[in-house]
Amino acid sequence: MKILIPIKRVVDYNVKVRVKSDGSGVDTTNVKMSMNPFDEIAVEEAVRLKEKGVATEIVAVSCGVAACQETLRTALALGADRAILIETDVELQPLAVAKLLAALAAEEKPELMILGKQAIDDDANQTGQMLAALLDWPQAAFASKVDIAAGVATVKREVDGGTETVEMKLPAIVTTDLRLNEPRYATLPNIMKAKKKPLTTTTPAALNVDVAPRLTTLKVVEPPKRKGGGKVADVKELVAKLRTEAKVIT
Amino acid sequence: MTILVLAEHDNASLKSSTGHAIAAAARLGGDIHVLVAGHDAQGAAQAAAQFEGVAKVLLADAAHLAAPTADNAASTALSLLPGAYTHVVAAATGFGKSIIPRIAAKLDVAQVSEVTAIEAPDTFVRPIYAGNAFATVQSKDPIKVLTVRTTAFDSPKTGGSGAIETIEAAADSGLSRVTGAELTKSERPELTSARVVISGGRGLGSSENFKLLEALADKLQAAIGASRAAVDAGYVPNDYQVGQTGKIVAPDLYIAVGISGAIQHLAGMKDSKVIVAINKDPEAPIFQIADYGLVGDLFALVPEFTAELG
Amino acid sequence: MSTYYAPLAEMQFVMNHLAGLEQVAKLPGFEDATPDTVAAILDEAAKFATQVLDPLNASGDREGSKLLEGGVVKTPAGFKDAYLQYCDNGWNGLTKSPEYGGQGLPQLVATAVEEMWHASNLAFDLCPLLTQGAIEAIELRGSDALKKKFLPRMVAGTWTGTMNLTEPQAGSDLAAVRTRAIAQGDGTYKLHGQKIFITFGEHDYTDNIVHLVLARTPDAPDGVKGISLFVVPKFLVNDDGTPGARNDVHCVSLERKLGIHASPTAVLAYGDHGGATGYLVGEENRGLEYMFIMMNLARFSVGLEGVGISDRAYQRAVTYARDRVQGRAVGLEKNAATGAIIDHPDVRRMLMTMRAYTEATRAVAYVTAAALDNAANNPDASARAKAQAFADFMIPIVKGWSTEVAQEVAALGVQVHGGMGFIEETGAAQHLRDARITTIYEGTTGIQANDLIGRKTARDSGAVAKAVVAEIHKVAATLAARSEPSLQAIGVALAAATADLQAALDWMVPAYGQRTRAAHAVAVAYLKLWGLAAGGWQMGRAALVAADQQAAAGGGDPAFLHAKIATARFYADCLLPQASAYARTVLHGSESVLALDVEAF
Repeated sequence: MKILIPIKRVVDYNVKVRVKSDGSGVDTTNVKMSMNPFDEIAVEEAVRLKEKGVATEIVAVSCGVAACQETLRTALALGADRAILIETDVELQPLAVAKLLAALAAEEKPELMILGKQAIDDDANQTGQMLAALLDWPQAAFASKVDIAAGVATVKREVDGGTETVEMKLPAIVTTDLRLNEPRYATLPNIMKAKKKPLTTTTPAALNVDVAPRLTTLKVVEPPKRKGGGKVADVKELVAKLRTEAKVIT
Repeated sequence: MTILVLAEHDNASLKSSTGHAIAAAARLGGDIHVLVAGHDAQGAAQAAAQFEGVAKVLLADAAHLAAPTADNAASTALSLLPGAYTHVVAAATGFGKSIIPRIAAKLDVAQVSEVTAIEAPDTFVRPIYAGNAFATVQSKDPIKVLTVRTTAFDSPKTGGSGAIETIEAAADSGLSRVTGAELTKSERPELTSARVVISGGRGLGSSENFKLLEALADKLQAAIGASRAAVDAGYVPNDYQVGQTGKIVAPDLYIAVGISGAIQHLAGMKDSKVIVAINKDPEAPIFQIADYGLVGDLFALVPEFTAELG
Repeated sequence: MSTYYAPLAEMQFVMNHLAGLEQVAKLPGFEDATPDTVAAILDEAAKFATQVLDPLNASGDREGSKLLEGGVVKTPAGFKDAYLQYCDNGWNGLTKSPEYGGQGLPQLVATAVEEMWHASNLAFDLCPLLTQGAIEAIELRGSDALKKKFLPRMVAGTWTGTMNLTEPQAGSDLAAVRTRAIAQGDGTYKLHGQKIFITFGEHDYTDNIVHLVLARTPDAPDGVKGISLFVVPKFLVNDDGTPGARNDVHCVSLERKLGIHASPTAVLAYGDHGGATGYLVGEENRGLEYMFIMMNLARFSVGLEGVGISDRAYQRAVTYARDRVQGRAVGLEKNAATGAIIDHPDVRRMLMTMRAYTEATRAVAYVTAAALDNAANNPDASARAKAQAFADFMIPIVKGWSTEVAQEVAALGVQVHGGMGFIEETGAAQHLRDARITTIYEGTTGIQANDLIGRKTARDSGAVAKAVVAEIHKVAATLAARSEPSLQAIGVALAAATADLQAALDWMVPAYGQRTRAAHAVAVAYLKLWGLAAGGWQMGRAALVAADQQAAAGGGDPAFLHAKIATARFYADCLLPQASAYARTVLHGSESVLALDVEAF
């Protein structure tokens, strides 16, 4: 079974992002970039499936600028067999990425694609589900357990207040939740070997996909700063303020 | 302008998230239709019809929609689209997040996730980078497809009487099926990843008294933490400790109960988005960083707080 | 709360632009160390340091290693798992020969990686560090049989290694070693004696521990020329490689120490039950010579410990200074102030001092590491010799100066925290306590200084030293000739320090031969002067590179480059002037050091 793992290069989760002073976005120049943490979980799951003898080949794919190759090398060091970069300098939105991946899936014909449930930069949580729709494949989003047997994927997925088990005919899409697994560290020998694994490059044009952005970002602002020192008179006021002012409870 | 809201329900009743989604739809302006796709879901449909502003409830009934898979749920919604609708809205819960992107992709339009404010029918505010920034985005697509944050939109009043209209459910794709569900109500979220954290300090006085916090935590689906003083006093195990030498947390809501706010504790929770402090000492340093400080006896206030949440 | 993050951008800047990674990667055998691979290695090491080692640092310090019944040592919670993971991930074999399962990467790469281990958890890293020394001894001088039996497992980390030099009466003076080794006629020896201060001499990480032990054979000459080196495994090793009988070496106690609590420091008893079986490494009576081969790298590593701890203390201090609200900043408009103590000029002074020292010691160490790589693998014999001479000269400076600086930096780290710094829970105090050993083990600062004035300076009549002074002078001149005022200022300060250095060198070479006690009396001042000047040299080079990158379009992160130049300028203005004080001590201080009679103390 071939597994395709789409991965995204994002601002490292330890970086405290800064909003640009002109409000045009978040400053990502000269900031440490890493693989999206949910995608690390996806890679780990694929590697485990390969170690179990379920998967035979793991192909990592990333869409974006040339520097995404570094992130693909990380995936190769973690156990992917080969990598594909769909290279473009265009800012990619989830729909465009889903279309690119669907086009690639038509060529690569994987039986399973595992994606991170969301990227920690745009927090969209869309690509996997969109991809499933475009391919007319079943999906199991927010997986916390994946079993594959006899052409069927049985996935336990995290839903509000519990879990739900879904059985899907392959090919299918899985998106990862935090509890699916704990990703391993790349070993030094595997980092060295990753260099020699194949990494090929294609483009949106070659895949015949229009990746023009659909959403326009008008402005980006920082969240309001907490002042501290606020008091409430009683529990009623507290709950009311948490609901209507802070909007942190329903 | 007509808006289609996808209802989240368990057939018999409506999930509260649906009300928040309807509220967001009301902010957009225009007619609101609510799709209840389920099986024997009259109860849910009637509940939806009672929200003010709901013009029509569309009820699709089929056995395979009793506990629908994402593709079947999306197909039934798509059978109505594009149609007359300008917007499709669902709450940004596990339900909405699973289905809405499928609909957007099939319509070949962008989706806007976790909307926290609506500035215009095509312009929305949403958090990015884990809430460290807020982006205002505009969609030029013919249909706007959104998920909305429930906490950002207050549920509308009930008392309305929208019409309930039965529609045809899309056929079962047969690609997948839900084979089981497990409610894990008692399981607490992990301290470091919980959306809400309630921490107790030495003010709780004993291990027994930490139970007070559990009832509140159940209501808020919160994780429970503790100050070092409470850990040192043996009230709770070591892995509850929030602070410099314990865990670092940054939840949306942090509730410090009976914690004075030593700097080592503050170091572990100061990045929380909203901080509530309950303490009998009005001079406790915790109040300096709390957004909402409540001075008084925690043994009275915490049960009251729990009760107030209903 | 402060989490350790490896300063990757800074490390790469130093590796690429000061130490010459590109040149090192062209040396035969190092071809794999391309910038992209090195970046991937550093990324992964940084993750391991931040996520696995750093969280264990404080808990390991509090819990410490403990001696249980029957000579069993229990390391702090989490350490064994972290060690096994460290080995599984292949870090143990970074520089080791591929023949024994290592990756054969350059010392320069290992240096950056090791700095992360030192910074995140010094006590943890001591075990791999000592294993590395033991591997090197066996690899360099051991028989093929010994290599085959021990190296693959030691490189993999399945077994760890120790270095057994010290005895109660033989500390810095190894001539006094008394442990006896008696040949058994079958190629093995029986050892009897007691060794102290054995880092990770006993632990619960692995099934076997391979001790490298200095001992005397019965007919050996007195003094250092009669010491031999032996391999004494905790469990004898069967010919099929499996552990055999328990050897007669036992942990009889663990020391209670000021710092590095997680690292078990063992007293080992050899031969209490009939004799510990040992295998000779190389030839009899040449043990100390073999030790010195590895000592170079061990001393370099300890210097790097100073760099790591300095950085860790700095990071913690910065985090606190940003958070701690206290007092109103003098002379700042309210909206320009953060409200935290980082607004206070004196706190800035402390943070800049910590930062500048850390960057300077790091640069000097990495440049030395690149020289070690050239000394090992440069195909040109004269380039090899030149690199070896430079590395030999720099190692006592890296060891002595970086660790002395770490004392000051870690102490400032406590000071930035004010009263909280004195509280153990804050974490700043641990760095100070942990740092304290680094000026002592692997040769005290005094011993480094004696090495520097004797073998490294006087023996070749200051030839290598003069060549380095000339290099520093060149950089000072280049700086002074630049149009940027900051670079000019650095150039002026560096030129002054170079003149001080020259004067001290001119004094030291003849003094060492003619007035030995006087030379030794000011040896540490001479070493610190060298450290300061070498730091100024590398900071000056860094400022030049940064200024050039600023001028070039798209040449690097503007914030980083600005900070680099500002830090170099601070170093030149506020730290480098100490050079003249040290020079004065070298030239004039020896008489007063020795002025009192012993009775007067």
